[in-house]
Amino acid sequence: MGNVVVWAVWVVAAFSCLASGIAVVSFTNPFFSALALIGNLASLAVLYLLLSAEFVAAGQVLVYAGAVMVMFLFVTAYLGGRADAPWAGGPSWQQFGAVLAAGAILVEVIVVIGLKAGGRLSHEAKIDGSFGSPRQIGTLFLTDHLLAFEITSVVLLVAAVGAVILGAHSRRPGTTAGVIHEREVRARP
Amino acid sequence: MLGPDIVWYLAVAAFLFATGALGVLLRRSPLIVLLSLEIMLNGANLALIAFARLHGEASGQIFALAVMAVAASEVVVGLGLIVAIARKRIDLDVDKLSFLRG
Amino acid sequence: MIVAAWICLLAPLAAAILITLLGTATSRRVAAYISTASVLGSFAAALVVLVKLWGESPDQRSHASTAWEWLNAGTFHVGLRILVDPLSVLMMLIVSGVGFLIVAYSIGYMDGEDEERRYFGYMALFVFSMLALVQAGNLVILLVGWGLVGLSSYLLIGFWHERPAAIAAAKKAFVMNAIGDATMALAFFILIQHGQSLNFPDTFDVGPGHGWLVNLVALGLLGGAVAKSAQIPLQTWLPDAMEGPTPVSALIHAATMVTAGVYLIVRTHAIFEQAPRVQELAAGLGAATLLMAGLIALVQTDIKKVIAYSTMSQIGYMFLGAGLGAYGSAMFHLMTHAFFKALLFLAAGLVIHALAGEQDIRKMGGVGRAMPVTRITFLIGSLALVGIPPFAGFFSKDSIIASALGQGWYQDILFTVALFGTLLTGIYAFRLFFLVFPGEPSPFVEEHLMRGSHAAGVEGAHGESHGHDTHEHAGEGPFSMTAPVLVLAVLAVIGGWIQFAPLWHPLNDWLEPVARPLTEPTNTQEALASLFAVLLGLAGIGVAWMLYSARRWHVPRWAFGQRLLEHKFYFDEGYDFAFYRPAVALAVYLRRWFEVPVVQGSIGEVAGGVRDLGFWTRRLQTGLVRTYVLAFAASLVVIMVVFVAVR
Repeated sequence: MGNVVVWAVWVVAAFSCLASGIAVVSFTNPFFSALALIGNLASLAVLYLLLSAEFVAAGQVLVYAGAVMVMFLFVTAYLGGRADAPWAGGPSWQQFGAVLAAGAILVEVIVVIGLKAGGRLSHEAKIDGSFGSPRQIGTLFLTDHLLAFEITSVVLLVAAVGAVILGAHSRRPGTTAGVIHEREVRARP
Repeated sequence: MLGPDIVWYLAVAAFLFATGALGVLLRRSPLIVLLSLEIMLNGANLALIAFARLHGEASGQIFALAVMAVAASEVVVGLGLIVAIARKRIDLDVDKLSFLRG
Repeated sequence: MIVAAWICLLAPLAAAILITLLGTATSRRVAAYISTASVLGSFAAALVVLVKLWGESPDQRSHASTAWEWLNAGTFHVGLRILVDPLSVLMMLIVSGVGFLIVAYSIGYMDGEDEERRYFGYMALFVFSMLALVQAGNLVILLVGWGLVGLSSYLLIGFWHERPAAIAAAKKAFVMNAIGDATMALAFFILIQHGQSLNFPDTFDVGPGHGWLVNLVALGLLGGAVAKSAQIPLQTWLPDAMEGPTPVSALIHAATMVTAGVYLIVRTHAIFEQAPRVQELAAGLGAATLLMAGLIALVQTDIKKVIAYSTMSQIGYMFLGAGLGAYGSAMFHLMTHAFFKALLFLAAGLVIHALAGEQDIRKMGGVGRAMPVTRITFLIGSLALVGIPPFAGFFSKDSIIASALGQGWYQDILFTVALFGTLLTGIYAFRLFFLVFPGEPSPFVEEHLMRGSHAAGVEGAHGESHGHDTHEHAGEGPFSMTAPVLVLAVLAVIGGWIQFAPLWHPLNDWLEPVARPLTEPTNTQEALASLFAVLLGLAGIGVAWMLYSARRWHVPRWAFGQRLLEHKFYFDEGYDFAFYRPAVALAVYLRRWFEVPVVQGSIGEVAGGVRDLGFWTRRLQTGLVRTYVLAFAASLVVIMVVFVAVR
């Protein structure tokens, strides 16, 4: 009984994942693409739950869907609906190559998983209830993977600083930004 | 474990990755490219979580969390760039942003 | 004594280096004095060596000194070795003595030249090179000196390098000398290959039973001697070398460098004696040159060229002597020739200097009126050249002629040729004298020498002399120029008195340990030869007097002969045709078919290829992000396949 439920949930989550993924890539309007991505993230969170990664699922929804996507939506709203149609302008080498490359990647990964991994992927390990719990994640972060933890924090700091600099406004002539601005204005086609 | 084998999760992850790659290669608006990039990262995350479950090692989940943090920072910087470009009133089209041509 | 020998060798080198290093920091005069003083120092050192050597018994008179071992390869050793023995001391004295007089003369002659310092540096270099040649203790150092002498000759012939004629002459001299250098080097290689040490005298033990090899070595040595001494067939460079300043012609192309060939044959006579055919060939070449040069001198119109051909002819005598085995006589004639030939050149230089650079004897005439001292000295030199007693040439030339008697039909032919040569010598030498000096001044001479000429005939100090362009006062040149000429005139008179073979021959005795003569003419042979030679010489003077002074005879018109002599027996044309034109044709051919398409073309191709490569690589930099990412994705695909397949 439980197995059937799990299977059903999996099928729904997986399909919505795939559908929203295709949607993100296909929509013309960036707003809709962003919303589709939110849907994708939510489906992924469900899949994580099925894989006993509760903390990660929570983090996904809170951080990713909650913060990152909100940021995306802000920017999309600021920029307006400027976007392009993906298949516009007739078939080009780029489009052909893109489809080919993406298809090749997909096929290769499937083949690798199917052919090479073979039987090893069938035997899941036994886990206890505390697998994927915040306690375990926290312990691991602060003991085994402390370096990764610290470096990640540095990366976040750098990103924040970068964002501030990118957003800075000065257009005083003579400064780098002012000079760049002048050159851009003049270079506009 | 109840439900499908790990293999199926991995298949979904592969598909997500390929879809994201298609989007990056195909779309001309940098905003959409960033979104596709997010799709790819998420596909990788799913694979990580799946393998963590397979081997009973929570390190995979740690890795996935780190990936999320890095993805967030990268989005921040990317969006900052896009906004800066838009403020200069340049077209948001990656094909036109070729000032570094040789 | 060894120290003195080293000082003799190195003093001029030190002077040359000093002059070079000082550059324009010294005045031109100081450079001249440095050069002259060094050569005087060499002469003094040579005198010391002579005195020391004289004090020893004859079989002890050979000292070698090696500065350091230069080349050490198994059993083959070559060192910086000098040899002090009678022959080298004789040459040292001649080179440094006559060299000193000529360099002193140059102080006046080259005064006012812009590049005077360079001249004196080169002169010092030349004296050093010649001394290295004659003091060499092994064949390698001799070759070094040989080459350096050729270099100095090139530098000094082309001294006035803005004149294309001078440059061409310098190149010609150098190239022809190089031919000789090559044959000499080949001879040395053969010697080395047969395990010979190259030190004197070990190098002469070539030993019997080596047959044709010895002949090759001797031929190689002969080739070098012929080139350096301007004998047939490598004689064409000497007349052209007169483009250099007159003191250069005196020193290098009369007294010393061109006699190096004779010195070489005498030094290596042991090898030549083992290759008698080659030695006979040397004598034959000498005789042929003697004759040919004498004939050509009859029609020359440039005062220096007449003297140059005379030099060629007299060296022919020396080669004849060495080829016959009369080494002592040949060296004696070398010495007296140095005196009177240098005298003739320097006196001619006085005339040229006074006439502001004019050298055509057809424009001269009656110079003696304004320059009596020069006239006397030139007369002395000419008499010495023809071999009239008691002047120097008489004593030395006749011994050589006498040595040819009574040895066979070949030597008899040489004897006849040599005698005929004395007749020719008389004619051309006095043709020159009579055309230039006696009689009424020609209009040209009038203009240059006689203006304001009431002080004419007053030789002596005129204070500082002037440059080459104008010469306002008539009369003799400055004291610094006339003094060496006077000294040489005295030597031309008394220089021969050192030997009156066969009665009294100290010079031959001096040289005997080093070069024992092969033949010693008897008293009757000597007397006979001398009689004929003097008579023919006087006859030649008489002919010249009739033709050119008293004008009672006229020069016969023979167009073919005239043309032949004026073109110097067409040697230059022959060489041009046989060697120069094919070489030029080959060069043109190679340039057209090889250098331009292949060498230049390939470089062009390489450059073009690199440029195209850059162009195509540039096209990869599209600036389009999507293209780059597609490249990423494609490589990712490939890498994945590789990983899967390989693992």
